[in-house]
Amino acid sequence: MSLLDDTMRVAMSDLYYMRRNAWVLIATSLVTPLLYFVAFGLGLGGAGVEMEGYGYVAFMIPGVVALTTLTSSFTTIANKLMIQKRFYESFDELMLCPISKSSIILGKAVLGVVKGSLCGLLLTVLGHFLSGDMQISVWLILMVIFSTFVFSMLGVAAGMIVKDLPRMNAFNSFVILPMTFLCGTMFSLRAMPDAVRYVIEALPLTHATECIRALALGTEFPWPSLLAMVLFGVAFYLIAQYALRRSN
Amino acid sequence: MPDYVIEGEGITVRYGDFTAVDRIDIAVERGEIYGFLGPNGAGKTTTVRALTTMSRPTEGVIRIGGRAISEEPERARSMIGVVQQHIALDKDISVRENIICRALLHKIPKRDIGPRMEELCGAIGLVPYMEKTVSELSGGWKRKAAIVCALMHMPEILFLDEPTAGLDTQSRHMLWDMIRIMNRRGTTVFITTHYMDEAEALCDRVSIIGSGRIMDTGTPRELCARLGKYAVEYDGGGGIREYRFFDSREEARAFYDSVEGMNATIRGTHLEDVFLEETGRTNMRVCEEALRLRCPFSMTP
Repeated sequence: MSLLDDTMRVAMSDLYYMRRNAWVLIATSLVTPLLYFVAFGLGLGGAGVEMEGYGYVAFMIPGVVALTTLTSSFTTIANKLMIQKRFYESFDELMLCPISKSSIILGKAVLGVVKGSLCGLLLTVLGHFLSGDMQISVWLILMVIFSTFVFSMLGVAAGMIVKDLPRMNAFNSFVILPMTFLCGTMFSLRAMPDAVRYVIEALPLTHATECIRALALGTEFPWPSLLAMVLFGVAFYLIAQYALRRSN
Repeated sequence: MPDYVIEGEGITVRYGDFTAVDRIDIAVERGEIYGFLGPNGAGKTTTVRALTTMSRPTEGVIRIGGRAISEEPERARSMIGVVQQHIALDKDISVRENIICRALLHKIPKRDIGPRMEELCGAIGLVPYMEKTVSELSGGWKRKAAIVCALMHMPEILFLDEPTAGLDTQSRHMLWDMIRIMNRRGTTVFITTHYMDEAEALCDRVSIIGSGRIMDTGTPRELCARLGKYAVEYDGGGGIREYRFFDSREEARAFYDSVEGMNATIRGTHLEDVFLEETGRTNMRVCEEALRLRCPFSMTP
Protein backbone atom coordinates (compact mmCIF):
# COMPACT_ATOMS: atom_id res chain seq x y z
CA MET A 1 0.00 0.00 0.00
CA SER A 2 2.81 2.34 0.89
CA LEU A 3 4.46 1.79 -2.50
CA LEU A 4 1.21 2.57 -4.32
CA ASP A 5 0.52 5.58 -2.11
CA ASP A 6 4.03 6.97 -2.63
CA THR A 7 3.81 6.26 -6.36
CA MET A 8 0.71 8.43 -6.61
CA ARG A 9 2.39 11.19 -4.58
CA VAL A 10 5.23 11.24 -7.12
CA ALA A 11 2.76 11.19 -10.01
CA MET A 12 0.68 14.14 -8.77
CA SER A 13 2.65 16.94 -10.47
CA ASP A 14 2.51 15.10 -13.80
CA LEU A 15 -1.21 14.47 -13.37
CA TYR A 16 -1.80 18.17 -12.68
CA TYR A 17 0.12 18.85 -15.89
CA MET A 18 -2.06 16.31 -17.73
CA ARG A 19 -5.25 17.87 -16.36
CA ARG A 20 -4.18 21.32 -17.52
CA ASN A 21 -3.23 20.13 -21.00
CA ALA A 22 -5.38 17.02 -21.51
CA TRP A 23 -6.98 17.93 -24.84
CA VAL A 24 -3.77 19.15 -26.42
CA LEU A 25 -1.78 16.13 -25.24
CA ILE A 26 -4.36 13.59 -26.40
CA ALA A 27 -5.16 15.33 -29.69
CA THR A 28 -1.49 15.59 -30.68
CA SER A 29 -0.93 11.91 -29.83
CA LEU A 30 -3.85 10.90 -32.04
CA VAL A 31 -2.75 12.76 -35.18
CA THR A 32 -0.20 10.19 -36.37
CA PRO A 33 -2.34 7.07 -35.76
CA LEU A 34 -5.33 8.72 -37.40
CA LEU A 35 -3.18 9.52 -40.42
CA TYR A 36 -2.16 5.84 -40.53
CA PHE A 37 -5.85 4.90 -40.39
CA VAL A 38 -6.64 7.16 -43.31
CA ALA A 39 -3.54 6.65 -45.45
CA PHE A 40 -2.95 2.92 -45.01
CA GLY A 41 -6.43 1.87 -43.90
CA LEU A 42 -8.40 3.56 -46.64
CA GLY A 43 -5.60 3.36 -49.20
CA LEU A 44 -4.64 -0.33 -48.88
CA GLY A 45 -7.88 -1.48 -47.23
CA GLY A 46 -9.94 0.19 -49.93
CA ALA A 47 -7.88 -1.66 -52.55
CA GLY A 48 -9.02 -4.98 -51.08
CA VAL A 49 -5.62 -5.95 -49.62
CA GLU A 50 -5.73 -8.83 -47.12
CA MET A 51 -3.17 -9.77 -44.49
CA GLU A 52 -2.95 -13.04 -42.54
CA GLY A 53 -6.49 -13.84 -43.62
CA TYR A 54 -8.06 -10.56 -42.48
CA GLY A 55 -9.11 -7.43 -44.29
CA TYR A 56 -6.27 -4.91 -44.11
CA VAL A 57 -8.18 -2.45 -41.89
CA ALA A 58 -8.95 -5.18 -39.32
CA PHE A 59 -5.30 -6.30 -39.41
CA MET A 60 -3.86 -2.82 -39.18
CA ILE A 61 -5.99 -1.22 -36.44
CA PRO A 62 -4.67 -3.37 -33.53
CA GLY A 63 -1.16 -2.68 -34.80
CA VAL A 64 -1.77 1.06 -34.76
CA VAL A 65 -3.25 0.78 -31.25
CA ALA A 66 -0.09 -1.06 -30.11
CA LEU A 67 2.04 1.53 -31.87
CA THR A 68 0.17 4.33 -30.09
CA THR A 69 0.74 2.72 -26.69
CA LEU A 70 4.45 2.97 -27.48
CA THR A 71 4.64 6.45 -28.95
CA SER A 72 2.25 8.26 -26.62
CA SER A 73 3.67 6.66 -23.45
CA PHE A 74 7.35 6.64 -24.28
CA THR A 75 7.55 10.11 -25.81
CA THR A 76 5.59 11.75 -23.02
CA ILE A 77 7.61 10.18 -20.23
CA ALA A 78 11.06 10.44 -21.79
CA ASN A 79 10.59 14.10 -22.80
CA LYS A 80 8.99 15.12 -19.50
CA LEU A 81 11.77 13.48 -17.51
CA MET A 82 14.37 15.10 -19.71
CA ILE A 83 12.77 18.52 -19.13
CA GLN A 84 12.42 17.96 -15.38
CA LYS A 85 16.03 16.78 -15.09
CA ARG A 86 17.86 19.07 -17.48
CA PHE A 87 15.80 22.25 -17.82
CA TYR A 88 13.51 22.66 -14.78
CA GLU A 89 15.90 20.67 -12.57
CA SER A 90 12.85 19.82 -10.47
CA PHE A 91 13.75 16.13 -10.50
CA ASP A 92 16.44 16.79 -7.87
CA GLU A 93 13.70 17.77 -5.44
CA LEU A 94 12.37 14.21 -5.53
CA MET A 95 15.71 13.01 -4.22
CA LEU A 96 15.26 15.30 -1.21
CA CYS A 97 11.95 13.74 -0.20
CA PRO A 98 11.44 10.66 1.96
CA ILE A 99 10.25 8.60 -1.01
CA SER A 100 11.72 5.30 -2.18
CA LYS A 101 13.44 5.01 -5.56
CA SER A 102 10.89 2.39 -6.63
CA SER A 103 8.08 4.88 -6.01
CA ILE A 104 9.92 7.55 -7.99
CA ILE A 105 10.30 5.22 -10.99
CA LEU A 106 6.74 3.94 -10.88
CA GLY A 107 5.35 7.41 -10.17
CA LYS A 108 7.12 8.87 -13.15
CA ALA A 109 5.55 6.16 -15.35
CA VAL A 110 1.98 7.03 -14.34
CA LEU A 111 1.56 9.95 -16.76
CA GLY A 112 2.55 7.69 -19.65
CA VAL A 113 0.12 4.99 -18.56
CA VAL A 114 -2.76 7.49 -18.25
CA LYS A 115 -2.09 9.28 -21.51
CA GLY A 116 -1.16 6.15 -23.47
CA SER A 117 -4.22 4.27 -22.20
CA LEU A 118 -6.59 7.11 -23.08
CA CYS A 119 -5.17 7.35 -26.59
CA GLY A 120 -4.99 3.58 -27.07
CA LEU A 121 -8.55 3.03 -25.87
CA LEU A 122 -9.95 5.88 -27.98
CA LEU A 123 -8.34 4.31 -31.04
CA THR A 124 -9.65 0.87 -30.02
CA VAL A 125 -13.22 2.21 -29.89
CA LEU A 126 -12.73 4.02 -33.18
CA GLY A 127 -11.26 0.86 -34.73
CA HIS A 128 -14.24 -1.15 -33.54
CA PHE A 129 -16.54 1.08 -35.59
CA LEU A 130 -14.21 1.13 -38.61
CA SER A 131 -13.79 -2.65 -38.74
CA GLY A 132 -16.51 -5.15 -37.99
CA ASP A 133 -13.91 -7.84 -37.19
CA MET A 134 -12.46 -6.06 -34.16
CA GLN A 135 -13.80 -7.03 -30.74
CA ILE A 136 -13.53 -5.01 -27.55
CA SER A 137 -13.10 -6.99 -24.33
CA VAL A 138 -11.90 -6.39 -20.79
CA TRP A 139 -8.76 -8.38 -21.64
CA LEU A 140 -8.04 -6.15 -24.61
CA ILE A 141 -8.43 -3.04 -22.45
CA LEU A 142 -6.14 -4.53 -19.79
CA MET A 143 -3.58 -5.48 -22.44
CA VAL A 144 -3.56 -1.94 -23.83
CA ILE A 145 -3.01 -0.56 -20.32
CA PHE A 146 -0.27 -3.12 -19.59
CA SER A 147 1.41 -2.26 -22.86
CA THR A 148 1.46 1.45 -21.96
CA PHE A 149 2.98 0.50 -18.61
CA VAL A 150 5.85 -1.41 -20.27
CA PHE A 151 6.56 1.44 -22.70
CA SER A 152 6.31 4.02 -19.92
CA MET A 153 8.98 2.07 -18.05
CA LEU A 154 11.09 2.24 -21.22
CA GLY A 155 10.50 6.02 -21.18
CA VAL A 156 11.60 6.28 -17.54
CA ALA A 157 14.72 4.19 -18.21
CA ALA A 158 15.61 6.31 -21.26
CA GLY A 159 14.87 9.56 -19.39
CA MET A 160 17.19 8.47 -16.58
CA ILE A 161 20.04 7.30 -18.79
CA VAL A 162 20.06 9.64 -21.77
CA LYS A 163 22.07 12.75 -20.93
CA ASP A 164 20.70 15.45 -23.21
CA LEU A 165 18.17 16.35 -25.88
CA PRO A 166 20.32 15.51 -28.95
CA ARG A 167 20.95 12.02 -27.56
CA MET A 168 17.26 11.60 -26.79
CA ASN A 169 16.48 12.54 -30.39
CA ALA A 170 19.06 9.98 -31.50
CA PHE A 171 17.41 7.34 -29.29
CA ASN A 172 14.08 8.18 -30.92
CA SER A 173 15.56 7.95 -34.41
CA PHE A 174 17.58 4.75 -33.92
CA VAL A 175 15.33 2.79 -31.57
CA ILE A 176 11.75 4.07 -31.43
CA LEU A 177 11.19 5.02 -35.07
CA PRO A 178 12.45 1.70 -36.52
CA MET A 179 10.25 -0.15 -34.01
CA THR A 180 7.15 1.69 -35.22
CA PHE A 181 7.64 0.43 -38.76
CA LEU A 182 9.28 -2.96 -38.26
CA CYS A 183 7.34 -4.62 -35.46
CA GLY A 184 4.41 -5.98 -37.45
CA THR A 185 2.16 -3.05 -36.67
CA MET A 186 1.05 -2.37 -40.24
CA PHE A 187 2.55 -5.26 -42.17
CA SER A 188 2.78 -8.98 -41.53
CA LEU A 189 6.13 -10.28 -40.31
CA ARG A 190 5.62 -13.53 -42.21
CA ALA A 191 6.95 -11.95 -45.40
CA MET A 192 10.20 -10.93 -43.69
CA PRO A 193 13.40 -12.98 -44.13
CA ASP A 194 14.14 -15.21 -41.10
CA ALA A 195 17.21 -13.27 -39.98
CA VAL A 196 15.31 -9.97 -39.96
CA ARG A 197 12.35 -11.57 -38.20
CA TYR A 198 14.55 -12.84 -35.35
CA VAL A 199 15.81 -9.32 -34.75
CA ILE A 200 12.29 -7.89 -34.88
CA GLU A 201 11.05 -10.48 -32.41
CA ALA A 202 13.59 -9.22 -29.90
CA LEU A 203 11.78 -5.87 -29.82
CA PRO A 204 9.00 -5.20 -27.29
CA LEU A 205 6.56 -3.59 -29.73
CA THR A 206 6.40 -6.84 -31.72
CA HIS A 207 5.04 -8.66 -28.68
CA ALA A 208 2.65 -5.85 -27.73
CA THR A 209 1.28 -5.95 -31.28
CA GLU A 210 0.91 -9.75 -31.21
CA CYS A 211 -0.99 -9.67 -27.90
CA ILE A 212 -3.28 -6.75 -28.80
CA ARG A 213 -4.00 -8.14 -32.27
CA ALA A 214 -4.85 -11.59 -30.89
CA LEU A 215 -7.29 -10.14 -28.35
CA ALA A 216 -8.83 -7.72 -30.87
CA LEU A 217 -9.34 -10.34 -33.59
CA GLY A 218 -10.16 -13.24 -31.26
CA THR A 219 -7.29 -15.49 -32.33
CA GLU A 220 -5.19 -17.73 -30.07
CA PHE A 221 -3.48 -15.63 -27.40
CA PRO A 222 0.36 -15.59 -27.70
CA TRP A 223 1.34 -16.34 -24.11
CA PRO A 224 5.10 -16.28 -24.88
CA SER A 225 4.65 -12.70 -26.12
CA LEU A 226 2.94 -11.72 -22.88
CA LEU A 227 5.82 -13.29 -20.95
CA ALA A 228 8.26 -11.35 -23.13
CA MET A 229 6.36 -8.14 -22.32
CA VAL A 230 6.58 -8.87 -18.59
CA LEU A 231 10.33 -9.49 -18.90
CA PHE A 232 10.80 -6.28 -20.89
CA GLY A 233 8.87 -4.36 -18.19
CA VAL A 234 11.06 -5.81 -15.42
CA ALA A 235 14.24 -5.14 -17.41
CA PHE A 236 13.29 -1.49 -18.06
CA TYR A 237 12.43 -1.04 -14.38
CA LEU A 238 15.81 -2.48 -13.29
CA ILE A 239 17.67 -0.26 -15.76
CA ALA A 240 15.84 2.80 -14.37
CA GLN A 241 16.70 1.71 -10.80
CA TYR A 242 20.36 1.34 -11.72
CA ALA A 243 20.46 4.73 -13.45
CA LEU A 244 18.75 6.44 -10.53
CA ARG A 245 21.14 4.95 -7.98
CA ARG A 246 24.09 5.90 -10.13
CA SER A 247 22.90 9.48 -10.56
CA ASN A 248 22.76 9.89 -6.76
CA MET B 1 28.01 22.80 25.14
CA PRO B 2 26.90 24.10 21.70
CA ASP B 3 23.89 22.39 20.13
CA TYR B 4 25.06 21.77 16.57
CA VAL B 5 22.34 20.75 14.10
CA ILE B 6 24.66 20.62 11.08
CA GLU B 7 28.11 19.11 11.48
CA GLY B 8 30.61 18.19 8.81
CA GLU B 9 34.05 16.74 9.45
CA GLY B 10 36.65 16.47 6.71
CA ILE B 11 34.11 16.77 3.88
CA THR B 12 35.88 16.09 0.59
CA VAL B 13 34.29 15.90 -2.84
CA ARG B 14 36.38 14.83 -5.81
CA TYR B 15 35.41 14.52 -9.46
CA GLY B 16 38.18 12.43 -10.97
CA ASP B 17 41.42 14.37 -10.42
CA PHE B 18 39.60 17.60 -9.53
CA THR B 19 38.98 18.27 -5.84
CA ALA B 20 35.90 20.51 -5.58
CA VAL B 21 35.75 20.48 -1.77
CA ASP B 22 38.86 19.76 0.26
CA ARG B 23 38.57 18.46 3.85
CA ILE B 24 36.29 21.14 5.20
CA ASP B 25 34.75 21.20 8.68
CA ILE B 26 31.40 22.85 9.35
CA ALA B 27 29.44 23.28 12.57
CA VAL B 28 26.15 25.19 12.63
CA GLU B 29 24.35 25.85 15.90
CA ARG B 30 20.62 25.43 16.29
CA GLY B 31 18.74 28.67 15.58
CA GLU B 32 21.53 30.58 13.87
CA ILE B 33 21.75 32.00 10.36
CA TYR B 34 25.01 30.66 9.00
CA GLY B 35 26.52 32.15 5.87
CA PHE B 36 28.71 30.15 3.51
CA LEU B 37 30.52 32.68 1.38
CA GLY B 38 32.66 32.10 -1.63
CA PRO B 39 33.30 33.24 -5.20
CA ASN B 40 31.87 31.40 -8.17
CA GLY B 41 33.28 27.89 -8.42
CA ALA B 42 34.58 27.87 -4.84
CA GLY B 43 32.63 24.75 -3.88
CA LYS B 44 29.53 26.24 -2.18
CA THR B 45 26.89 24.35 -4.12
CA THR B 46 28.92 21.13 -4.03
CA THR B 47 29.06 21.41 -0.24
CA VAL B 48 25.32 22.09 -0.02
CA ARG B 49 24.57 19.07 -2.21
CA ALA B 50 26.67 16.90 0.12
CA LEU B 51 25.07 18.34 3.28
CA THR B 52 21.57 17.81 1.92
CA THR B 53 22.04 14.16 0.85
CA MET B 54 21.83 15.05 -2.85
CA SER B 55 25.33 13.70 -3.44
CA ARG B 56 27.71 11.59 -1.41
CA PRO B 57 31.02 13.14 -0.37
CA THR B 58 34.13 11.24 -1.38
CA GLU B 59 35.35 11.44 2.22
CA GLY B 60 34.14 12.82 5.52
CA VAL B 61 31.24 12.55 7.91
CA ILE B 62 28.12 14.71 7.85
CA ARG B 63 25.64 14.79 10.71
CA ILE B 64 22.22 16.44 10.68
CA GLY B 65 20.56 16.65 14.07
CA GLY B 66 23.40 14.62 15.57
CA ARG B 67 23.02 11.56 13.29
CA ALA B 68 25.18 10.62 10.30
CA ILE B 69 23.26 11.22 7.07
CA SER B 70 25.00 8.30 5.39
CA GLU B 71 23.25 6.00 7.88
CA GLU B 72 19.89 7.78 8.13
CA PRO B 73 19.36 9.82 4.97
CA GLU B 74 15.56 9.76 5.19
CA ARG B 75 15.63 11.18 8.71
CA ALA B 76 17.97 13.94 7.55
CA ARG B 77 15.67 14.72 4.61
CA SER B 78 12.69 15.08 6.92
CA MET B 79 14.64 17.65 8.98
CA ILE B 80 15.83 19.85 6.12
CA GLY B 81 14.28 22.09 3.52
CA VAL B 82 16.34 23.02 0.48
CA VAL B 83 16.00 25.92 -1.94
CA GLN B 84 18.41 25.24 -4.74
CA GLN B 85 20.32 27.83 -6.72
CA HIS B 86 18.12 27.20 -9.75
CA ILE B 87 14.37 27.40 -9.14
CA ALA B 88 13.49 23.73 -9.07
CA LEU B 89 9.74 23.98 -9.59
CA ASP B 90 7.59 22.52 -12.34
CA LYS B 91 7.13 25.62 -14.48
CA ASP B 92 3.99 24.48 -16.30
CA ILE B 93 1.77 23.87 -13.29
CA SER B 94 0.49 26.47 -10.83
CA VAL B 95 2.15 27.69 -7.64
CA ARG B 96 -0.63 26.03 -5.61
CA GLU B 97 -0.14 22.72 -7.44
CA ASN B 98 3.63 22.87 -6.93
CA ILE B 99 3.20 23.46 -3.21
CA ILE B 100 0.62 20.66 -2.84
CA CYS B 101 2.89 18.24 -4.73
CA ARG B 102 5.87 19.05 -2.54
CA ALA B 103 3.75 18.63 0.60
CA LEU B 104 2.51 15.25 -0.64
CA LEU B 105 6.07 14.13 -1.33
CA HIS B 106 6.97 14.99 2.25
CA LYS B 107 3.96 12.93 3.40
CA ILE B 108 2.20 15.78 5.13
CA PRO B 109 -1.34 14.68 6.06
CA LYS B 110 -3.76 15.96 3.41
CA ARG B 111 -5.90 17.80 5.98
CA ASP B 112 -2.85 19.85 7.07
CA ILE B 113 -1.74 20.92 3.61
CA GLY B 114 -4.36 23.63 3.01
CA PRO B 115 -3.99 25.49 6.32
CA ARG B 116 -0.19 25.31 6.25
CA MET B 117 -0.06 26.55 2.66
CA GLU B 118 -2.42 29.44 3.44
CA GLU B 119 -0.35 30.41 6.49
CA LEU B 120 3.01 30.40 4.74
CA CYS B 121 1.76 32.06 1.56
CA GLY B 122 -0.14 34.65 3.58
CA ALA B 123 2.98 35.49 5.59
CA ILE B 124 4.95 36.37 2.47
CA GLY B 125 2.21 37.75 0.24
CA LEU B 126 2.15 34.90 -2.25
CA VAL B 127 -1.64 34.40 -2.10
CA PRO B 128 -2.52 36.51 -5.21
CA TYR B 129 -0.13 34.41 -7.31
CA MET B 130 -1.32 30.95 -6.27
CA GLU B 131 -3.23 30.11 -9.45
CA LYS B 132 -0.56 31.40 -11.84
CA THR B 133 1.77 28.91 -13.47
CA VAL B 134 5.34 29.26 -12.25
CA SER B 135 6.50 30.33 -15.69
CA GLU B 136 4.26 33.42 -15.40
CA LEU B 137 5.99 34.69 -12.23
CA SER B 138 8.94 37.07 -11.89
CA GLY B 139 12.21 35.80 -10.39
CA GLY B 140 11.46 37.04 -6.88
CA TRP B 141 8.05 35.40 -6.68
CA LYS B 142 9.40 32.17 -8.15
CA ARG B 143 12.03 32.15 -5.42
CA LYS B 144 9.39 32.80 -2.77
CA ALA B 145 7.27 29.96 -4.11
CA ALA B 146 10.33 27.70 -3.94
CA ILE B 147 10.93 28.74 -0.33
CA VAL B 148 7.31 27.98 0.61
CA CYS B 149 7.68 24.55 -1.02
CA ALA B 150 10.82 23.94 1.04
CA LEU B 151 9.07 24.99 4.26
CA MET B 152 5.85 23.00 3.88
CA HIS B 153 7.10 20.07 5.96
CA MET B 154 8.26 22.50 8.68
CA PRO B 155 11.95 21.63 8.50
CA GLU B 156 14.22 22.49 11.41
CA ILE B 157 16.94 23.52 8.98
CA LEU B 158 16.58 25.54 5.79
CA PHE B 159 19.34 25.45 3.17
CA LEU B 160 19.30 28.39 0.75
CA ASP B 161 21.77 28.20 -2.11
CA GLU B 162 22.32 31.72 -3.45
CA PRO B 163 18.67 32.64 -2.89
CA THR B 164 18.93 36.19 -4.20
CA ALA B 165 21.11 35.63 -7.25
CA GLY B 166 19.76 37.68 -10.13
CA LEU B 167 17.01 39.40 -8.10
CA ASP B 168 16.33 43.13 -7.97
CA THR B 169 16.90 45.10 -4.77
CA GLN B 170 13.26 45.04 -3.65
CA SER B 171 13.00 41.30 -4.12
CA ARG B 172 16.27 40.76 -2.25
CA HIS B 173 15.03 42.76 0.74
CA MET B 174 11.68 40.94 0.70
CA LEU B 175 13.52 37.63 0.81
CA TRP B 176 15.79 38.81 3.61
CA ASP B 177 12.72 39.71 5.66
CA MET B 178 11.25 36.32 4.95
CA ILE B 179 14.45 34.56 6.04
CA ARG B 180 14.49 36.57 9.28
CA ILE B 181 10.84 35.65 9.93
CA MET B 182 11.58 31.96 9.44
CA ASN B 183 14.64 32.20 11.67
CA ARG B 184 12.65 33.90 14.45
CA ARG B 185 10.20 31.01 14.25
CA GLY B 186 13.09 28.70 15.15
CA THR B 187 14.39 27.57 11.76
CA THR B 188 18.16 27.25 11.47
CA VAL B 189 19.26 28.79 8.17
CA PHE B 190 22.30 27.77 6.12
CA ILE B 191 22.72 30.28 3.31
CA THR B 192 25.31 30.41 0.55
CA THR B 193 25.97 33.69 -1.16
CA HIS B 194 28.63 35.77 -2.82
CA TYR B 195 26.89 39.01 -1.86
CA MET B 196 28.67 40.37 1.18
CA ASP B 197 25.95 42.89 2.05
CA GLU B 198 23.55 39.96 2.26
CA ALA B 199 25.84 38.08 4.62
CA GLU B 200 26.35 41.17 6.80
CA ALA B 201 22.62 41.88 6.91
CA LEU B 202 21.52 38.34 7.72
CA CYS B 203 24.18 36.07 9.15
CA ASP B 204 25.11 35.41 12.75
CA ARG B 205 28.26 33.60 11.63
CA VAL B 206 29.95 33.07 8.30
CA SER B 207 32.58 30.84 6.77
CA ILE B 208 34.54 31.90 3.73
CA ILE B 209 35.38 29.18 1.21
CA GLY B 210 37.88 29.54 -1.62
CA SER B 211 39.14 26.86 -3.99
CA GLY B 212 37.33 24.20 -2.01
CA ARG B 213 38.83 25.11 1.39
CA ILE B 214 37.48 27.03 4.36
CA MET B 215 39.59 30.17 4.72
CA ASP B 216 38.03 31.66 7.85
CA THR B 217 35.02 31.38 10.16
CA GLY B 218 33.46 33.79 12.66
CA THR B 219 30.87 36.50 13.10
CA PRO B 220 31.09 39.23 10.46
CA ARG B 221 32.34 41.60 13.16
CA GLU B 222 35.04 39.16 14.32
CA LEU B 223 36.29 38.63 10.78
CA CYS B 224 36.49 42.38 10.17
CA ALA B 225 38.29 42.88 13.48
CA ARG B 226 40.80 40.15 12.62
CA LEU B 227 41.70 41.92 9.41
CA GLY B 228 41.75 45.34 11.06
CA LYS B 229 38.81 47.57 12.02
CA TYR B 230 39.89 50.42 9.77
CA ALA B 231 40.62 50.38 6.06
CA VAL B 232 42.54 52.89 3.97
CA GLU B 233 42.09 52.59 0.23
CA TYR B 234 44.07 54.61 -2.29
CA ASP B 235 45.13 54.59 -5.93
CA GLY B 236 48.20 52.41 -6.46
CA GLY B 237 50.15 52.21 -9.66
CA GLY B 238 48.50 51.38 -12.99
CA GLY B 239 44.98 52.35 -11.96
CA ILE B 240 44.72 49.59 -9.38
CA ARG B 241 43.06 50.42 -6.08
CA GLU B 242 45.18 49.41 -3.04
CA TYR B 243 43.94 48.58 0.47
CA ARG B 244 45.61 48.60 3.89
CA PHE B 245 43.97 47.59 7.17
CA PHE B 246 44.69 48.82 10.71
CA ASP B 247 43.56 47.90 14.22
CA SER B 248 43.35 51.49 15.47
CA ARG B 249 42.05 54.68 14.01
CA GLU B 250 45.37 56.41 14.83
CA GLU B 251 47.41 53.96 12.75
CA ALA B 252 44.94 54.25 9.89
CA ARG B 253 45.06 58.05 10.12
CA ALA B 254 48.86 58.08 10.05
CA PHE B 255 48.93 55.92 6.93
CA TYR B 256 46.16 57.94 5.33
CA ASP B 257 48.26 61.10 5.80
CA SER B 258 51.15 59.42 3.98
CA VAL B 259 49.01 58.64 0.90
CA GLU B 260 46.72 61.66 1.01
CA GLY B 261 47.52 62.79 -2.49
CA MET B 262 46.54 59.43 -3.95
CA ASN B 263 42.74 59.71 -3.82
CA ALA B 264 42.81 58.06 -0.40
CA THR B 265 39.78 57.20 1.74
CA ILE B 266 39.60 56.06 5.33
CA ARG B 267 36.62 53.93 6.41
CA GLY B 268 35.51 51.00 8.54
CA THR B 269 36.42 47.52 7.30
CA HIS B 270 33.60 45.64 5.55
CA LEU B 271 33.00 41.92 5.23
CA GLU B 272 33.67 42.43 1.52
CA ASP B 273 37.24 43.45 2.40
CA VAL B 274 37.68 40.27 4.42
CA PHE B 275 36.22 38.21 1.59
CA LEU B 276 38.50 39.75 -1.01
CA GLU B 277 41.59 39.43 1.19
CA GLU B 278 40.79 35.78 1.87
CA THR B 279 39.78 34.70 -1.62
CA GLY B 280 41.94 37.04 -3.67
CA ARG B 281 41.10 40.43 -5.15
CA THR B 282 40.95 38.98 -8.62
CA ASN B 283 39.12 35.82 -9.50
CA MET B 284 41.92 33.99 -11.29
CA ARG B 285 39.49 31.80 -13.19
CA VAL B 286 37.82 34.90 -14.66
CA CYS B 287 41.26 36.33 -15.54
CA GLU B 288 42.32 33.12 -17.21
CA GLU B 289 39.12 33.09 -19.22
CA ALA B 290 39.61 36.75 -20.19
CA LEU B 291 43.15 35.95 -21.33
CA ARG B 292 41.93 32.97 -23.30
CA LEU B 293 39.37 35.15 -25.05
CA ARG B 294 41.97 37.96 -25.44
CA CYS B 295 39.69 40.45 -23.75
CA PRO B 296 41.06 44.01 -23.92
CA PHE B 297 40.44 44.48 -20.17
CA SER B 298 42.38 41.35 -19.15
CA MET B 299 44.27 42.06 -15.92
CA THR B 300 46.94 39.50 -16.69
CA PRO B 301 49.84 41.03 -18.66
